[in-house]
Amino acid sequence: MAVVRGHVGAEAPRADDLPLVDGSAMFIADLNRDGQLWARVVRSPVASAVIVGIEISAAVRHPGVAAVLTADDVPDVQIPIRLPFAATPECELALQPPLARDRVRYVGEPVAVVLAEDPFTAEDAAELVALELEERTPVLDLRAGSGADSVHDRLPDNVVNRVPMVCGEVDRLFATAEVVVSESVVVHRHTGMPLETRGLLAEWEEGEGRLTVWGAAKVKHFNRQALAQMLDLSPQSVRLIEVSVGGAFGVRGEFYPEDLLVPLAAMRLGRPVKWIEDRREHLVATNHAREQLHELEVAASEDGRLLAFRDRAWCDQGAYVRSQGLLPALLPALQIAGPYAWEGFSIEASAVLTNRTPVGTYRAPGVTEATLVRERALDRVAAELGLDHVELRRRNLIAADRMPWVFDLGPQGEPIVYESGDFPGSFEALLAQAGYDDLRAEQRGRAPGGEAVGIGVSAFCEVSAVGPFEQARIALEDGRFAVYVGVGSVGQGVATVLGQIAAETLGVGLERVAIHHQDTADTPEGFGTFASRSTVLAGNAILLAGQDLRRKAAAALGIAEDTLDVDLEYARLAPQRLTGEGTFEKEHPSFTFGANLVLVSVDRELGRVRVERHLVAHDAGRAVNPALLRGQLCGGAVQGIGAVLFEELRYDRTGQPEVSSLEDYLLATAGDVPAVEAVIIENPAPTNPLGIKGSGEAGMAGAPAAVANAVADALGAGAESLALPLTPARIRALVRARELNAQPEAS
Amino acid sequence: MDVLRTEFTLNDMPIEVTLPVRATLADAIRSTGATGTRVGCEEGICGSCTVLLDGRPARACLMLAAQARGREIRTVEGLAAGGRLHPVQESFRRHRALQCGYCTPGFMMLAVGLLEREPNASPERVRAVLASNLCRCTGYAPIVDAVLAAQQALAGEVI
Amino acid sequence: MRPAPFAYERVESVEEMLEALARADGEGAAVLLAGGQSLIPRLNARLVRPRRVIDIDGIAALDHLELDQELRVGALCRHWRLEEATSLDGPWAALREAAAHVGLHPVRTRGTFGGSLAHADPAAELPLAAVTYGAEIELRSRAGQRRVAAEEFFRGPHRTALGPGEAIVGARFPSPKPDGVSAFAEVSRRVVGWPLAAVCVVLHAAEGVIQGARVGLGAVGPAPRRAIEAERLLEGSALESSAIDAAAVAAARACAPAVADGVDEDTRRDMVEALVRRTLAGLAGAVW
Ligand code: FES
Ligand code: FES
Repeated sequence: MAVVRGHVGAEAPRADDLPLVDGSAMFIADLNRDGQLWARVVRSPVASAVIVGIEISAAVRHPGVAAVLTADDVPDVQIPIRLPFAATPECELALQPPLARDRVRYVGEPVAVVLAEDPFTAEDAAELVALELEERTPVLDLRAGSGADSVHDRLPDNVVNRVPMVCGEVDRLFATAEVVVSESVVVHRHTGMPLETRGLLAEWEEGEGRLTVWGAAKVKHFNRQALAQMLDLSPQSVRLIEVSVGGAFGVRGEFYPEDLLVPLAAMRLGRPVKWIEDRREHLVATNHAREQLHELEVAASEDGRLLAFRDRAWCDQGAYVRSQGLLPALLPALQIAGPYAWEGFSIEASAVLTNRTPVGTYRAPGVTEATLVRERALDRVAAELGLDHVELRRRNLIAADRMPWVFDLGPQGEPIVYESGDFPGSFEALLAQAGYDDLRAEQRGRAPGGEAVGIGVSAFCEVSAVGPFEQARIALEDGRFAVYVGVGSVGQGVATVLGQIAAETLGVGLERVAIHHQDTADTPEGFGTFASRSTVLAGNAILLAGQDLRRKAAAALGIAEDTLDVDLEYARLAPQRLTGEGTFEKEHPSFTFGANLVLVSVDRELGRVRVERHLVAHDAGRAVNPALLRGQLCGGAVQGIGAVLFEELRYDRTGQPEVSSLEDYLLATAGDVPAVEAVIIENPAPTNPLGIKGSGEAGMAGAPAAVANAVADALGAGAESLALPLTPARIRALVRARELNAQPEAS
Repeated sequence: MDVLRTEFTLNDMPIEVTLPVRATLADAIRSTGATGTRVGCEEGICGSCTVLLDGRPARACLMLAAQARGREIRTVEGLAAGGRLHPVQESFRRHRALQCGYCTPGFMMLAVGLLEREPNASPERVRAVLASNLCRCTGYAPIVDAVLAAQQALAGEVI
Repeated sequence: MRPAPFAYERVESVEEMLEALARADGEGAAVLLAGGQSLIPRLNARLVRPRRVIDIDGIAALDHLELDQELRVGALCRHWRLEEATSLDGPWAALREAAAHVGLHPVRTRGTFGGSLAHADPAAELPLAAVTYGAEIELRSRAGQRRVAAEEFFRGPHRTALGPGEAIVGARFPSPKPDGVSAFAEVSRRVVGWPLAAVCVVLHAAEGVIQGARVGLGAVGPAPRRAIEAERLLEGSALESSAIDAAAVAAARACAPAVADGVDEDTRRDMVEALVRRTLAGLAGAVW
């Protein structure tokens, strides 16, 4: 058997498709344990209230009910923050308890759990739990400040923290600028909305003192640690198992109240407990995202050089700081500078509490919001200067020969470093693929027909490949090379990509490799799947583990490593129980470049937007599997189109959500979006041996901005503020306003 | 709790289930162990639960189990035959029409129902029908491509 | 999401249905379950909590569609049958198009004509078609049978003329003039989903002059309604663009949209105007 190479870069088929197409794949709802009980969570019906009493006796008496738990039955613990750099002492004052104790702070907050013999009974009995609540005025305004009621008494002005960042001499730059443009953008609340809702199944084996929880995703090692701590167990006695996951997009797999309640109930009652979130619950219980208000000022020179910006942002955290800590405010601050050669900027992002569902991270968190805000403002600068949108960006993208680029944040903070890339070159590749000049001609050509056609662009730098490390272990087991990693698979095909890297490193066929990531009992400590980090971190750990294995194997056989065919020697190596180990550490995150170009037509009369073309360019460093990469980019871009046109989690003035089902939360369908075109660029990353950059989120990051810019362009409203999402009513309002303005000239 | 016995045909096999009267067809199918029919909303919107009811696509979450009495139900488990995947299944794999795969059985049943009844459906018609179901991962283009390619493959088989 | 408990009863004939309804009247809320495409989502979400569900899905006698001097649609006629009835062309085309817009493709497998009328959503397509065509809804109870004009049947959002113990058994559509033309159009946020505005138009012309016009509007008021002024402006016209414009403006004026789904009144009126104009313009070719 010859040594096999060439896996990396090949469009290998996905390793895990067959059970998904024949229906045999097991998702959490498909798992059952003998004797299991069903959990149903009783949730707050109001946005803000003091809990006067909870009456559970009728529910407890209901036939088929095993128990009803309230805050008094659970340990006095709170859901911890996962990332140390996103935690502050103030965050600790607003963490969420698994069940509300004295106050409820958002519609959907868990207040009790019913355990019953079947899901019907559990839901019936949950209705019998009577809450006596004394309602308070909800805090819903991001700038309510200290005049309002407080979401948490210990944070009276409803601000958890302010995140300041300063680079360069901002005031001087503004003073010398010939053009100053201000833009205020409200990014609306929307979220990941995976097709599968959350779910858990927990079993406690009293004799062994062992707790097993199925249904984990994303960050199972952290969740195991957190759960063990809350339940006062050793982490070794807790096992989290990932089964098939129907999409995660950042929201699925974080530690939620149910992640404690379900295992706790299993321990208390000595029976397995199953919980499946329903879609209406999902809409209030699972993390929301994105809601923030930015006031951005941009200073530029007459010849179209961007000098500086000032951003003030109010970022909704919702009613609690959940496991992602301050990320909703930190991430936009970190990414609002984007790929442009600013001489300075200042940022103050406030993390604000409101009586709405807590906010977490959704695919391309922070960068999506920041890109929307900045790229809208840049179109206004272009309009002000009479410059083509594309030209403005061309003049300001950081040149390749200025890499690595550093935004020095002074003594306050770590500098922002763009380690590599060719931003102008990548941007030109996008324009070339789109045929930008032809598109402009097409736009002019279609105008006389009364069609409103617009072109929008956006560019961004996305933080990715966040550390601190991942580990991999490769063993010769069951006749194959078993690769154990700590990241998760949430439907994105990570097992395939990691398998390609392992096979390439070992020099074996793809079918000879098995990737194991599901079970905390046999996978190495890992940080999980977020921030486009899995392929970069785990991939490089596998590379190191594979090299380690080959080294050990060559030594064991007494042959030169470069002549070793590990597969040929498998029979001789297997009994020796060799394992390859690798740890890839990464101190600093990397920033990757991406850009979008969108062509829309707008039906002025009906206020409908049609995205006719959508291109997304992304510097992947090195594309391990271009087909899967395209899938990530296109899927992400379609989410971005839906976000800016359709999706919105609206609340009324009393803090009641107005969107309660998928009938109101509008996801784009096959008829609403074009076939997205991906432009893959490969400028290898210098900071990891494989040269890869994170890719899971790049399709989303710039899509809403480009669509919004295209719509503004179509309506000749480049210089106006757009309210989002771009509903027919809002489009009509823009059209009407412009018709009114145009009338005096016409008459 | 009131229970009811219902008999229907599932993938050509006679089935008998006894379930609470308020159980849906999705519950009934899944209770037999055929869990490829996924549930994503229980309100008829997402399409994950789409099955064929007497040959036409229908939402299994929008029908009481009792209403399936005497009907022919086909699910994803009934697509492959003789150890071979159905051309629509093959095509979904080849065209990378799935990522997480949660929507996949529903989309495939929707497509099979369409292609069996309208083998000559135009690409516009295919796209319009596919707009009935939701996918959060793929961006849809691969799904549309997969169904159009399967249409070709099925036409080839017939000839 | 599981329905609240209910008693379930399956009936096989109209008589059994009426018996069951009469009996249930004594015991409080009972609902008829047909295709279930509107009812079951609301049952699953516990937005409705009937004590008794009477399943009429299997009453074969109500599942029919007959076209001769008039069109008779049974209460259990599934949407797909209307959608696929190729004989419904010319003056009937709008009815077929309306059916093709109901819900989603798989929903039309199960959804029924009677169910859609009984649900009486202000945005629903088939109630709009029934009003536009001047259909009569046939109601039965143990006390007997009566017919109610569609325009009177729909009383407001989810409110109808159905009395206690009464059920829809079908509807009769009087035949429009055979050489007529018709069309249906709607606009929604996405390519699928509830319309924000819908129009249904039936015209018949002789020698290039409109003899009769019916213009119905949906989703822009508490119940579907005709735009009488627009119809009057069209009759006697040659469907020239000035007549079309005038009718479109009149239709927009005729509607009383509520602010819902984040859509303001002006936008809905704008939509009605555009839809009516485009629909009439599309038919203008067919009239000549
Ligand atoms: S679960 Fe049936 S359509 Fe969503
Ligand atoms: S593949 Fe994940 S929802 Fe379609």
